[in-house]
Amino acid sequence: MTAIGKDVPRKEALDKVTGAVKYNDDINEPGLLHVKMATSTCAHGIIKSIDVLSAWNVPGVRAVVTGDYLPVMTGSVIKDRPPIAINKVRYYGEPVAIVVADTEHEAQKAANSIKIEYSPLPMVKSPKEALVKGAPLVHEKLGEYKKAIDDVYPAAGTNVADHSKIRKGDMDKGWSECDVIVEGEYTMPKSDHIAMETRNVRVKIDPDGKVYVSSSTQCPHGIKDTLATVFSLNEGDIIVNAPLVGGAFGGKAPVNLEFIAYIASRAVGGRQVKLANTREEDIATSPTKIGLEAKVKLGATRDGILKALELKYFVDAGAYSDTAPRMAKTMASNGTGPYNVENVFCDALCLYTNNPYSTSFRGFGNMGHTFCMERTLDKLAVALNMSPFDLRLKNAISPGKGHTSATQVKITKSNTGDLAKCIYKINELIKLDDDLRVEVAKDKVIARGMSCIWKTSASNTDAISGAIIVFNKDGSLNLIVGVMEIGSGVKTGLAQILADKMNMEVDQIHVQMPVNTESSPKHWKTVASMSTVMAGRAVLSAADDAIRQIKDLGSIVLRVDPSQLEIGGGKVYMRSDPDNYVEFKDMVHGFKFRGGNSIGGQIIGKGTYIMENLTILDRETGKGRMGPAWTVGVQAVEVEYNTKDHTYKLVKAATVMDIGKIVNPKTAKGVVMGGMSMGLGLGSREGFLYGSNGGILNDSLRTYKVMRFGEQPDYMVEFIETPAEDGPYGARGLGEHGILGMPAALANALTRATGVELDQVPIDAELIWQLKTGGYV
Amino acid sequence: MIPFDFDYYKPDTLLEAIDLFQDLSEQGKMPMYYGGGTEIISMARANSIYTGAVIDIKGIPECCEFGFSGSNLVIGSAITLTKIVESGLFPMLGITIGRIADHTIQGKITLGGNLAGTVIYRESVLPLLISESQVVIAGNYGTRQAPISELFDGRMRREPGELIVKLIIDSTYTNLPFFHRKTTKIDKIDYPLVTVVAMKKDDRILAGFSGLCDHPFRSIEMEDSLNEKGLTREVRIKNAMSHIPAPVQEDIHGSGNYRRFVLNNILMDVLKM
Repeated sequence: MTAIGKDVPRKEALDKVTGAVKYNDDINEPGLLHVKMATSTCAHGIIKSIDVLSAWNVPGVRAVVTGDYLPVMTGSVIKDRPPIAINKVRYYGEPVAIVVADTEHEAQKAANSIKIEYSPLPMVKSPKEALVKGAPLVHEKLGEYKKAIDDVYPAAGTNVADHSKIRKGDMDKGWSECDVIVEGEYTMPKSDHIAMETRNVRVKIDPDGKVYVSSSTQCPHGIKDTLATVFSLNEGDIIVNAPLVGGAFGGKAPVNLEFIAYIASRAVGGRQVKLANTREEDIATSPTKIGLEAKVKLGATRDGILKALELKYFVDAGAYSDTAPRMAKTMASNGTGPYNVENVFCDALCLYTNNPYSTSFRGFGNMGHTFCMERTLDKLAVALNMSPFDLRLKNAISPGKGHTSATQVKITKSNTGDLAKCIYKINELIKLDDDLRVEVAKDKVIARGMSCIWKTSASNTDAISGAIIVFNKDGSLNLIVGVMEIGSGVKTGLAQILADKMNMEVDQIHVQMPVNTESSPKHWKTVASMSTVMAGRAVLSAADDAIRQIKDLGSIVLRVDPSQLEIGGGKVYMRSDPDNYVEFKDMVHGFKFRGGNSIGGQIIGKGTYIMENLTILDRETGKGRMGPAWTVGVQAVEVEYNTKDHTYKLVKAATVMDIGKIVNPKTAKGVVMGGMSMGLGLGSREGFLYGSNGGILNDSLRTYKVMRFGEQPDYMVEFIETPAEDGPYGARGLGEHGILGMPAALANALTRATGVELDQVPIDAELIWQLKTGGYV
Repeated sequence: MIPFDFDYYKPDTLLEAIDLFQDLSEQGKMPMYYGGGTEIISMARANSIYTGAVIDIKGIPECCEFGFSGSNLVIGSAITLTKIVESGLFPMLGITIGRIADHTIQGKITLGGNLAGTVIYRESVLPLLISESQVVIAGNYGTRQAPISELFDGRMRREPGELIVKLIIDSTYTNLPFFHRKTTKIDKIDYPLVTVVAMKKDDRILAGFSGLCDHPFRSIEMEDSLNEKGLTREVRIKNAMSHIPAPVQEDIHGSGNYRRFVLNNILMDVLKM
């Protein structure tokens, strides 16, 4: 009867496809006030004056608020960001003042009328500029900021928010063993998440001090903790409600608009306010994806064994650090990719610039290091005159060979899976051990490129999850978890896990879709591809708890020892005689004997999970265990390139990943394909372009292009199953991974097709033309 | 969400519309004629335009004419792009405007709106320029008719309050061999890097361009160069490109030199017509 491995349709599917689902922004209550922001038109400058008089004169305006009204500093790593700018602005689009009004258009009209004068300061527009001696400082008081965690090392008097190091092995020895050394420099621009549902939140503060927040978020519990800390509130007074989320991709992991909405509600005596981003605000004001500049030096023996790797990452955090230091650290600790390299030296600098600030983005930095390493591997393959396929196979990180990660974690079958198997498998989908460039017609070339991927989580070392199971009178189960359904189908997967464990049909499992911090157990954050693993373990533990109670009660009714009982099909029965049973419906709310007297009470299963055995990384060497099991895989792209006009088409794209255990095949494939599509978008078209004033030029969907339906290649996704011993049923994370290697595989295919080294994304026909011709006609 | 209030009028006659425009102007309402609304709505939302009143022209019979009349094809300014595409009456126009914005928006954008709008590409003008269409315009004097080449110098020149009523195309142009190519930075749905629409009439190539400069145009000098028999294609294209009438655009869609490269490639194919 197992539900594991079945294509169970998502439990929320019908509501979603019929449009019946209510997302957070769909809900408007009577009396709701609206908040709009006046944002900076200066990327770096001192705020000289803010004239709010005209805003107060707009009918319907209830409050006009500037940063000094409730000055607080926020940040999940470094507390460097006021939710509304104070004294100074650090990026174009930063909130400088807010208006609360009866209607949205009145609030907007008033916000538009606020006059702000700036004394512009010189801008820092790139990591390179941030590091120049005497560069303008984005944060003059960096040394005075409070840190939210211990292992971050901002350097006062500089633009360096953090510096992560890896020192593994002996570099001199490593380089001396190399016959061939190649180098590369890479750049990836900042870009946006482009979730369909823009960020939005409602907040009200009741007279008794209770704060009600409704948000489109990946971390309802994080909102509760953070608002309590930042505004010195009692955590128990904050109640966060979070319905289904219309796309997040990391962009809804941080607390962002909630700060402003809380301040706005305070300013109007606690009345309920709504703050909903326009698309333009979601791109230019709320946090974005990090940018990256990197230098890589990689050496190998004549027969292609990697010996030494030097990585330098310069991460463009933007105006505020948010989670960017953690992503820089992730790059450092995973920068080898899934390859064994004995000697690794890495400096990852997380830098402040006057670009929009960054936060988590699908892949959490792993796409950046993957692009750099995989492009360099292709250069090495050329230098060695070896096939890129063989080079990767030869160096694939594997258990039992004494391999360790860059942070010196021992590689085991359980924590890493089987990369070689993935590589052989993808070759059946897109031929990679053959000629990778074929001229198929006049002006037409078919070319293929590949990239291996790996990722583990970079979660807190004490990240927790929990699950509660309660029963209905008909014997069906209600599952309550703190994980958010952000589109991955996680809640259906958890229902499958519970159905399997209870040995019953998955339609007998009801999962609570919204999360409410008052009643849902805490789940750290719905991030890091860890929801199925963490919440899955909590669900299994809750099921064990419920099963124990059912058997205990069953043993009284059936008059046997609990050890003689089994459960299945909504019954508890005697193993020796399955016809001797009690149905759940007759016992989960207590068992009533014939005479009327009853025992047992209602059955409530509870389960918890905490990340185990993780450590913070050593400051000098990076040694430590950052995440649980890796998920490894390989991706490939086939392009058709027009040698005359330098345009190209995406023909095929494939992914093979070792996900430990397939819980729901179709959902898993869908999630991976979605990631591949985003990755191809980043590889081919996405990225911010800035005007001379530091503002984003492509801040709307007219000009910021994402992959459209019809532009996608033929997607192929297959899985390998090498169990992670600590995952539920052996399952590994897979939510983000589809994105990781796509920019690299695309760039590798196009480099092969065009004959020019494509070491930056996005890659369009003009870039290829420029590199091939120097940009002259 | 539009952050200002405005009035909405839907007149039934041309005269009513023209009078309304004048009255509303005198009241300081800064009125605008309203077709599909895609540009007014999106620019008002972005706070790029202001109007105190819109005058919807979709109820005016003359603006909604569509079909052959004698030897002419008449297309009212309030006819949507989708309607023109689906009619198949003028394939060159249909194919050109079938690549403006996306399918959903094409159902709203009107021919008059695309010609009169502020978005600089106005690709619908290209087939109308090379088919030497006539434009009917209404004003407080009644209506007047003029060749589009006289009214269009990158934008449709009108006096304040004048309204584009309809386009009149000699039906002989609707069946001639034509060429259309729209190139974009990468996406199918995007503003053009360069769009070229060309037609062959009496063995002469006629061509219009959008995206190349900050306004769409037809250039007789460029056509003369392209049609100069006895020279190689390369030389004809080189000569034509030396007559581009305005600076080549440099923007987020592409550099000037890249646009020239793209144009060069397209013109090679135009000359194979």
